[in-house]
Amino acid sequence: MKKIVLLLQKLSPFIGCLIFYIVVTVLRSHKIINGYYMQVLMFAGVNVMMTVSLNLVNGFTGQFCIGHAGFMSLGAYGSAVVTTLIFKGSHFTGVAQLPVFLLSLLCGGTVAALVGCLIGIPSLRLKGDYLAIVTLAFGEIVRALLRLIQPIGGARGMIGIPNYSSFGRILFFVALTLWLVRNLIYSPFGRAFIAIRDNEIAADAMGINTTKYKILSFCIAAFIAGVAGGLYAHVLCFIQPDSFGFTKSSDFLVYLYAGGSGSLTGSVIGAVLLTILPEMLRFLADWRLVLYALILVAVMLYRSEGLCGGKEVPFLKVKRASLYKEPIFGAKKNAAKNG
Amino acid sequence: MSTILEVKNLTIKFGGLVAVDDFNLDLEKGELVAVIGPNGAGKTTIFNMLTGIYRPTTGTIKLEGEDMVGLKPYQFAQRGITRTFQNIRLFANASVADNVKMAATMHAKDSLLQSFLRTPKMVENERELDEKVMDLLRRLNMADKADLLAKNLPYGDQRRLEIARALMTDPKILLLDEPVAGMITTELEEMAQLVVKIRKDFNVSIIMIEHHMNFVMPIADRIKVLDFGKTIAEGVPEVVQKDPKVIEAYLGGALNGNA
Repeated sequence: MKKIVLLLQKLSPFIGCLIFYIVVTVLRSHKIINGYYMQVLMFAGVNVMMTVSLNLVNGFTGQFCIGHAGFMSLGAYGSAVVTTLIFKGSHFTGVAQLPVFLLSLLCGGTVAALVGCLIGIPSLRLKGDYLAIVTLAFGEIVRALLRLIQPIGGARGMIGIPNYSSFGRILFFVALTLWLVRNLIYSPFGRAFIAIRDNEIAADAMGINTTKYKILSFCIAAFIAGVAGGLYAHVLCFIQPDSFGFTKSSDFLVYLYAGGSGSLTGSVIGAVLLTILPEMLRFLADWRLVLYALILVAVMLYRSEGLCGGKEVPFLKVKRASLYKEPIFGAKKNAAKNG
Repeated sequence: MSTILEVKNLTIKFGGLVAVDDFNLDLEKGELVAVIGPNGAGKTTIFNMLTGIYRPTTGTIKLEGEDMVGLKPYQFAQRGITRTFQNIRLFANASVADNVKMAATMHAKDSLLQSFLRTPKMVENERELDEKVMDLLRRLNMADKADLLAKNLPYGDQRRLEIARALMTDPKILLLDEPVAGMITTELEEMAQLVVKIRKDFNVSIIMIEHHMNFVMPIADRIKVLDFGKTIAEGVPEVVQKDPKVIEAYLGGALNGNA
């Protein structure tokens, strides 16, 4: 009995995702959620992935990247090129569609990660403000370069991208990202990242090759951002360089810090809430942006560490193994309770 | 006994200032050497050279025969020289257990893929590491604080955590930079016992910077006295204590016999 409960507890996040998926699908088929809100939900998913990946660099490794949309655009273009130009517009159906889509996402992610490495190696020697400026410049360079490349539409952008991103697929990638990143954070790699964030000199003195781990964190984040970009391109079916400008990057920064940097829960809540909020406020017409900004100011004033700063829901963290294997203090506490 | 660390003619200049001038040290295996001297004598600068933070202008550092000059700080740690910091540098937002675990990063066997997938092998490695960490904390009487955040620890415990963290890297040589700075007399005694215990239990050689004569004298095998970057005296504690040059450096100016 206890084993079944434990197993259910372990699987609860996956069951939760499944239930959420079923609920949304049912509501959609009964037309309670319209196509527009479906799209908002999908964008929320993409934004969660973007925020989680930014969290890896800014929140866990303590670096400051403000050109994250650059990686997203590389991923978006990388994957769109595969589905639209290489498999020329032929809309795959059924079984063949998924492999093509996965391949395109992999390409998008890889392109972003490679560029991430290329940028990271020289620039991660810089700290704080200086790194921020380099990443800002990087985002702008990517945008400017994409405008110049005619085969992918130049400044006009790319049209006719097949809409391969369904709600279910995006949900799957969001869950996968969260699971993988959580595992990474609670591994020697994640601990190295956090050590660098908390005290780089001490991390170095404890034998952690700080440059290596910073580049690694940057590349992993770039890869995730690339995949998210790929998903984004196949929701909207249209991408243009200018939609990945600094405004986009700053959106992710807002999601990250409003949600709470260094908390995966915060990334999810920040990205979902702040993607949906402006849509919920549409009845206010032009005033919605004012209210949106006011809400942000209020969050920062009353919870400067973000909505979930320093907090994590149980399934997004891993407890210290000996805590439940060998309850040194747990035993004492229980004994006190029983006595 | 054999020499583990050989430091020869170590000199560093910052512009025109010679911060450390011709420092020599042959550290035996298992030895505890203290470096003492007034503020600004260049003690921490020596530590910064011995851990790769500064590159000496001239001189050599050899760990078991291997030339260390020019290596990066993390490479010093990986080859077996770790330090604590005078101004505590913990991973403040991580728990005590995690602070110690972070110092085991270089010994980690898990690949990136294993970590991403959290394979059973990786979980097993984590469990072993956890036990090792708890064992270490128990030996330093800190096991009950394993889940507190480092920044919430009292001052004395933060110092002990720094030592625990350094020990987790499995050092051959441990450098302690003012381990009892800002501590009261009773804590001094505790720390002295701890240092003696560590030296015995963990089989490390220790170089220690400290001002407190009362702390250093009973536990050090040898003392080196620095003043303005120069070594002015060296030897067993009883001899150094009586050296007129040392008394002068510490108390300043001429001293008449009745002090």
